[in-house]
Amino acid sequence: MTEETDFTQQDSDGGSEEVVLTPAELIGKLEQAWLNEKFSPELLENKCEIVECVIEQLDHMIEKFFPHVLEKEKTRSKGEPSILSPEEFAFAKEYMANIETYLKTVALRHMPPNLQKVDLLRSVPKPDLDSYVFLRVKERQENILVEPETDEQREYVIDLEEGSQHLIRYKTIAPLVASGAVQLI
Amino acid sequence: MDSAEVEFLAEKELVTIIPNFSLDKIYLIGGDLGPFNPGLPVEVPLWLAINLKQRQKCRVIPPEWMDVEKLEEIRDQERKEETFTPMPSPYYMELTKLLLNHASDNIPKADEIRTLIKDTWDTRIAKLRVSADSFVKQQEAHAKLDNLTLMEINTAGAFLTQALNHMYKLRTNLHPGESAPSQDF
Repeated sequence: MTEETDFTQQDSDGGSEEVVLTPAELIGKLEQAWLNEKFSPELLENKCEIVECVIEQLDHMIEKFFPHVLEKEKTRSKGEPSILSPEEFAFAKEYMANIETYLKTVALRHMPPNLQKVDLLRSVPKPDLDSYVFLRVKERQENILVEPETDEQREYVIDLEEGSQHLIRYKTIAPLVASGAVQLI
Repeated sequence: MDSAEVEFLAEKELVTIIPNFSLDKIYLIGGDLGPFNPGLPVEVPLWLAINLKQRQKCRVIPPEWMDVEKLEEIRDQERKEETFTPMPSPYYMELTKLLLNHASDNIPKADEIRTLIKDTWDTRIAKLRVSADSFVKQQEAHAKLDNLTLMEINTAGAFLTQALNHMYKLRTNLHPGESAPSQDF
């Protein structure tokens, strides 16, 4: 019999919850989290115990979108799960501080006094939630709204059958990725 | 995603081998394997089968669909139909390549199989090109691609999604009255 492993999770209040996963399930979850994060245009919810192995992907994404990520964290209310783990949050803040110092030292200092501020939120590109992604459906979904591409088309609804594969814009199905109902491929 | 990563996912597929050594059951993170007894067939993941074969510790049994007549039928059906036929394995391309490269002595009519698979692949990729072309021309918002394998999606996918993203941006920027921020990647 395969052994079962306990993975103790710390939630945001500092209490702990035990989630019992078989090692095989853990590898499966790791793979799913890896694939979803790889193909998603935006940063997805943090999966504490499996994130160590996905750390490189996340670093890259944080570096690309850092002011928006930090802004999102700031506006996140108490009860909702954090998008970043404590280590990632520290990394993001440090990265931001480093970039600001770098821009200041290398360029801003030499510019006329009234132009010496840079608004990172506006100058760094936002994650493109309108990107197209491929997905496979894990749980059947009904009545997903597909928005029209041109003015002549009208919006229509589709059902997502279990096991089927689709190409669609990320924005429409973003909540389904978070809930695990679809898998990005 | 690289083809190497798709191959990595394909290597989890199970194949039957006949080992020439004996070993008790082993308990790996992804699941239990074995026990191994010389001369008795056992199912193992592809990555292990290839490794054992390279060390001359087993003989590989080709999957039952890796047979000239079966593949001829599949190839003919693919050529006849305009839609994609379901393939015998979601990783047919990777399985064939790895098994033919490392275990061709265990597979009857290896060269014919190679040619048949290549023909089927070419037909499917051509169909994929045509359907991507019409997707773009008709500016569809959504596509269902059920019987496509991951390797095929991956071959055409990166370019297709980037092209669609650019087109979407060009289209939405035709209407400057909308609330799009001035810098949207």
